[in-house]
Amino acid sequence: MFDAGALSGLRVLDLADYRAHLCGRLLADMGADVIKVEPPTGDSARRIGPYVNDTPHPDRSLFFWFYNLNKRSLTLDLMDPEGREILLALAKSADLIIESSQAGKLDVLGLDWSTLHGINPALILLSITPFGQTGPYRNYQADDTVLTALSGMLYVNGSPGQRPVRPLGLQAYHSAAYYGAIAVMCALFARERQGEGQWIDVSMQEAATAAVEHVAGSFFGERRIEPRRGTLHWSRYFRVGKCRDGYILHCTLGDWTSLVEWVAADGKARDLTAPEWHDVLYRAEHAPHLFDVLDDWVRDYNRDELVERAQALRLPYATVRAPEELFDDEQLKARGYFVEVEHPELGRTFRYPGAPYQFSGTPWRVYRRPPLVGEHTAEILRNEVGFTPDRVRALARAGII
Amino acid sequence: MLPLAGIRVLDFTWVVAGPVATRILADHGAEVIKLERKPGPPGERQRGLQGDLHRNKLSIAVNMAHPRGLEIARRLAAKSDLVIDNFSARVMRNWQMDYDSLVQLKPDIICISMSGFGHVGPRASYVSYGPTLQALSGFTLLMAEDNGEPAGFGYSYADMAAGFTGALAALMALWHRERTGRGQFVDLSQFEALVSLIGPAMLDISVNQRAQEPPGYSSQETPAAPHGVYRCRSLPDDNDRWLVISVRSQSEWERLVQAMGSPEWARHPRFRTLFLRLQNRRELDRHVESWTMTQSAEDAMALLQKAGVAAGLVSNGMDICERDPQLQARGFWGTVTLPDGTQTKVTGVPIKMSATPGSVRTPSPHIGSSNDYVLGELLGYSDAERHQLIAEGAVWP
Repeated sequence: MFDAGALSGLRVLDLADYRAHLCGRLLADMGADVIKVEPPTGDSARRIGPYVNDTPHPDRSLFFWFYNLNKRSLTLDLMDPEGREILLALAKSADLIIESSQAGKLDVLGLDWSTLHGINPALILLSITPFGQTGPYRNYQADDTVLTALSGMLYVNGSPGQRPVRPLGLQAYHSAAYYGAIAVMCALFARERQGEGQWIDVSMQEAATAAVEHVAGSFFGERRIEPRRGTLHWSRYFRVGKCRDGYILHCTLGDWTSLVEWVAADGKARDLTAPEWHDVLYRAEHAPHLFDVLDDWVRDYNRDELVERAQALRLPYATVRAPEELFDDEQLKARGYFVEVEHPELGRTFRYPGAPYQFSGTPWRVYRRPPLVGEHTAEILRNEVGFTPDRVRALARAGII
Repeated sequence: MLPLAGIRVLDFTWVVAGPVATRILADHGAEVIKLERKPGPPGERQRGLQGDLHRNKLSIAVNMAHPRGLEIARRLAAKSDLVIDNFSARVMRNWQMDYDSLVQLKPDIICISMSGFGHVGPRASYVSYGPTLQALSGFTLLMAEDNGEPAGFGYSYADMAAGFTGALAALMALWHRERTGRGQFVDLSQFEALVSLIGPAMLDISVNQRAQEPPGYSSQETPAAPHGVYRCRSLPDDNDRWLVISVRSQSEWERLVQAMGSPEWARHPRFRTLFLRLQNRRELDRHVESWTMTQSAEDAMALLQKAGVAAGLVSNGMDICERDPQLQARGFWGTVTLPDGTQTKVTGVPIKMSATPGSVRTPSPHIGSSNDYVLGELLGYSDAERHQLIAEGAVWP
């Protein structure tokens, strides 16, 4: 028997735009009731592709689906005073509001921290913005690519002298979403002791900077500016090699004797049989030559055959795969990573990527498919704000919901 | 008061992913006790990445190959709220430090295991590293050079991602225990944590059966053009200066054109609308770069941002750590004082909480530097017993 979700009972109003959608999703996956508040025309993420069958439609954006699984949808025009009043009514019983508007915009809307804190002292406000609420950049414009640039995520990928290579998949936003969720959990613990909520200011730039492994450490430790090194990992123990039918990742951290015996048996070891290569630090120091020899060795292998044999020798080689291959990955299958989500109005189930963690007592779960625009507006206004059906209809006619 | 004060974490993690997770917990006030092997020379791992990873933590030096070392670990687990590791599945089991063993000692214990591939499945025992997980999950192939060759990250983003994922998992499990009194086991596969960060692409594959192409500098969010990284004028000692520019709306485009001094080419009909700019983006990029080449990256960024155009310098280590005015103004970087009285800077806390802010307080500990506190004060070993443990080789001084 499982407990209710780890975050069950937690009420969240998610006002964030798509740059911070993942944060509410992380909480919803663990049982929080996350109400996505979107404008009556639908959230802007609904207009970002890809779409189901490439047919643009606000309820068929896969971009929206991924970031909004398990949330409910309430449409509300926050530009309208009545819309804001409804939001404040909901804020009275909420634990958390997530928002990502430009610093200062909440004040203009009358939804600033002191107002919110005044109506509900237990409420936590999480603001996730590109540069945070303070500092000279607080009103600067940024998308994920700009943030990868200003955090050091970008400079160190790719070849020396060439264009830096951008991270895949909006990782500056994702880092900030995770740090935002972490902050919310910290604020919940603080609230247990002190009884009051607080305002959390997450800067996407800072979150992304904290998600870079080596740049600050090298600079503060040795005043070294980390360069781009091609596919050579900064530790110097990994580099991409090219097989006959694809790419692999070399790794020189495994059992050296096994590796060099194999390479020698293929007649490709050259100077690698010398004893100094047994020293792992020597291997790092002479990495370019080492990997050149190994590249020459793997050239005539098939990718999968090479990595399978390496794994049998417990050498941590890896195939450089396309994400399509993940759906056939035996490990992910065995763990039930992918989940089926039913979309009744499309008459189909769709396979989604699943849990980033498996909790034994309070598992990550699919509670509901991503919401249609305003799907839960009437239910929320009637049951949770106490409006009559007539009042709900009037608000809809006025375009407020 | 720090929000996680009073929460004790027994920390078996090593390398990077696990230490990032426990760094986050320590920054917000958890008492993180690293259980480690034999100390090295004094002064090691105080600066650089190691200093960054282990600040705010305590350390004890315990020999887990010795029966009394195991006894210390088990007694400490019984006094901890959370036990965390990033070994593959068998290691903690062999020590009887896995969840099923520890729950006998402390019924509400929480165990988080951050292994490469998780505790079950055909690859459960495989050794992994950040770069191998990035290769296996599609990052390396799809982060391609202009010529299509895979490049990938120059570092282990997988470790950083598993780190913040692990910290969140720990906090959610602690929260559940706070409300119900029940602990649990969290089986975190670093591989799965990473795959979960390319969600829209995964859905595109499963729903539309579309093979993913390297996106290059095409926007991965709302469409944008120009959208890319452009080479800028060299500094006297640095010819590797770049600027990212992202332009979406028509008014942003007009402001960009004006900021560039309204060049002739920008008036050409093939750049008139976003649709046309996307269609002709290669040519557009060449024109934009011909302008950025005449600018310093810093000046161009300031100029464009003043005009309301999203732009950002491609910051290198020195830009990030010393020059970035925003990170400086917000006091992002932390400072710790080392035992010899000198100071070093470390990565700061990327979360600003109005009432209970996390902080950087103490430097990365010398291995074993908290032996006396942990063995004496927490576990109640007398001075004589502690000397005996050292003499037997169960503890390193």
